[in-house]
Amino acid sequence: MTTAQHMPVSALQVQSECTILSLGPDEKTAQRLAQMGILPGTHLRIIRVAPFGGTIEVTCDQGQSFALRQEEVAAMTCDPVAMPLASELVTVGQTYRIRVLLGGKNFRQRMEREGFRKGGFIQIRETGVKPIPVHLVDMDRQIELGEGEAKKIIVEVISHESGD
Amino acid sequence: MSLATKPVTVALAAIPNSGKTTLFNRLTGSSQTTGNWPGVSVEQKSGTFTLGEYCITLTDLPGAYALSPVTEEEQVVRDYFLQSPPDIILNLLDARNLYRGLGLTLQLALSGLPMVVAVNMMDEARRQGISPDFNVLAQHLGVPVIGLSAKKGEGVSDLEDALYGVIKDPGETRIAHISCPPLLEKAFFQLSEAINQADIDTRLDHTFLAMCLLEEDDQKQWVDNDKVVSLTRQWHRRLKHSLKTSVPIACANCRFNAARGLALEVLRGQPVMEDKFSKQLDHIFLHRFLGLPIFCLLMFLLFQGVYSVGAPLQELLAAGFDKVGSMLASQAMILSLPTLLQSFLFDGLWQGMAVVTSFFPIIALFFLFMSLIEDSGYMARAAFLMDRLMHRLGLDGKAFISILLGYGCNVPAVMGTRILSSSYSRMLTMLLIPFTLCTARLQIFVFLTAMFFSPAIAPWIILSLYVCSFMAVVLVGLVLKLFRIGGNPEPFIMEIPPYRLPTLRSISLRTWYELKDFLSRAATLIVAGVLIVWLLIHIPSDVPPASAATWAGQLGQLLAPVFQPLGIDWQETVALIFGFIAKEIVIGGLAVIYGGSDLTGQMSSHITPLQSISFMLFCLLYTPCVATIAAIWSESRSIRITLLSLVSGLGLAWITSFVFYQTGLLLGFY
Repeated sequence: MTTAQHMPVSALQVQSECTILSLGPDEKTAQRLAQMGILPGTHLRIIRVAPFGGTIEVTCDQGQSFALRQEEVAAMTCDPVAMPLASELVTVGQTYRIRVLLGGKNFRQRMEREGFRKGGFIQIRETGVKPIPVHLVDMDRQIELGEGEAKKIIVEVISHESGD
Repeated sequence: MSLATKPVTVALAAIPNSGKTTLFNRLTGSSQTTGNWPGVSVEQKSGTFTLGEYCITLTDLPGAYALSPVTEEEQVVRDYFLQSPPDIILNLLDARNLYRGLGLTLQLALSGLPMVVAVNMMDEARRQGISPDFNVLAQHLGVPVIGLSAKKGEGVSDLEDALYGVIKDPGETRIAHISCPPLLEKAFFQLSEAINQADIDTRLDHTFLAMCLLEEDDQKQWVDNDKVVSLTRQWHRRLKHSLKTSVPIACANCRFNAARGLALEVLRGQPVMEDKFSKQLDHIFLHRFLGLPIFCLLMFLLFQGVYSVGAPLQELLAAGFDKVGSMLASQAMILSLPTLLQSFLFDGLWQGMAVVTSFFPIIALFFLFMSLIEDSGYMARAAFLMDRLMHRLGLDGKAFISILLGYGCNVPAVMGTRILSSSYSRMLTMLLIPFTLCTARLQIFVFLTAMFFSPAIAPWIILSLYVCSFMAVVLVGLVLKLFRIGGNPEPFIMEIPPYRLPTLRSISLRTWYELKDFLSRAATLIVAGVLIVWLLIHIPSDVPPASAATWAGQLGQLLAPVFQPLGIDWQETVALIFGFIAKEIVIGGLAVIYGGSDLTGQMSSHITPLQSISFMLFCLLYTPCVATIAAIWSESRSIRITLLSLVSGLGLAWITSFVFYQTGLLLGFY
């Protein structure tokens, strides 16, 4: 059973994805977003942060790109769907599925040799420590990852399966 | 109703960035007229073309995401549809992303007006492997759908055929239906019944009118029927309460739910491909570290491209004008005229036309490069990069480029504000641009600093003036933001469109229209301004021009008490009046006023270095030149904004010079 988490879009790191739950209290901004096709239920992906910060680029599931400002993304709430393994949103005890390995070919090959493949299940053992202790569920293997590596591994939330 | 007996009005409606202007230019060619929509700073463009026996007036509506307005542009579109619905709607979609535009298309399809949908950018969609099924789209919308590429011109004749067909035989309009929550449907139904009974005279479908009314806050403006209004208000409250969201958002939700499904069906379930090319380019142009240096480089090239190429051309034109002027002036017929009339013709009228013409090269170059940046899609990237900085001033990132270009010349920079997305940022930017140190002012400063200071110090003084101008922009920006002088900010969410290769045709067309526009809108004002200055300087005619006895001289002396505390004498005050024509004329004005051959000697014996800096500060900040004022007026169509620009410049200039001069005196400088 999945319970949607409510958090501001601004809490997400670059490369995270989320489902929008609400457009925020400012009616005109919400109306603008809605008329551009960004509605509750729309899937957003954070692409990048502008050099001076404050403004982010997002794409929605229908392929459009938008620039959104801090005040707008802080007011919008969302349910995170995918995030880098290094994200603060990744919690202990939750099982995640590897969605994609970013970075160069070398990095991807190295990670695959270690057992990180697309679709594989992983958990993290402890938060707030570096290197990050990761448990590969399929192989029952323990591996430690540097923060740089963890940033390039995008994981998606799978349901809180009962009895897990 | 048969349309055959009267000219046909067609409205071109689409969301921003769907290639509307390109299609408009394709269809209307050179028969365009531009102006402003009544009472707002939104540009109105219309053009005519013939289709068989019909004479078509095509109105290019501003880009709008929906008929329930958020921006001033959308208010214009809403007003247009509710007050004077066109005979036919021409709606434009972007084939690369149908979902984006279908929200508006569905809303328009509900209006009950005959409509043709054109799906633009087919060439690029094919490159991305997208092949929409137009039959499906046509069936669902109940209107003809034509695929085309306005940029390349393919499919435009098919569109004309389709338009002709619809004009000839509008047929029975089958109005599309989108599903909404039952409560909303019930509201639409009851309201449309009430509209039916009220016998309201409208060509719009009654359900559509009901939807529009429900999305409005002030229904009284649109229907003069108390029963309908009160019923709408009743439903408005009830819906808001039970839908837990505002009515426009609920309606947008319904439309986009339908749009999503429709896009899926039209694309036969092909997934929406991301544009690989744009993605790769963005990796470079929006790179965390490389993005800003590349931006700076491009801005440098833009600035140099406009002004390094433009300035020599400008001088060439001015020299040509002078030559032709003096040739004409030496004609026997002219010489037989009274001296005052001669002076009026050549120092007034001819000079005014020379000022107008001198702007041609930079305006042309400015819009050439601007359209290149805008059409390619880089503008949105630039705005993204600079957004944070400009947002502090209450502006969006695009305003940065306008203000930057003001440092070359204020006139095209003000004209360029029309690329900004909201009326609020257009007004604000327009008020800020006159404080940028343009090259005309630079000429005054170079001349005066060379006269009063050693070569080692002079560049530092000019640099300080640049810093001062920059500070004035920021300061005035903050004050305007604080007092909400430019109106209320609109929510600003910018789309970042895919990159496109601009065509020579569209860029040169745009440049040509802008030049024509400048000529028709600003030229008369500029010439009038020059003539006023001529009058001040030459009347009465029996004394030397600009001397103490002329109106200008008298005005200078009258204002002496005001300028005394700034260390500015009446002679310089008269020069400032000259500066209203164009700032660089201040130097020539001084030469006329002092009337001698040794201007440097006369001035340096008359003015102290401290006074010269005070004078330069005043020159930097005071009232923009007549061409800038004309541009501000023609862009804003607002007397308030134009006057504000005049007054804020004068006020700030006076205060700055006053503080500077008095502090200088107190500190013992002279």
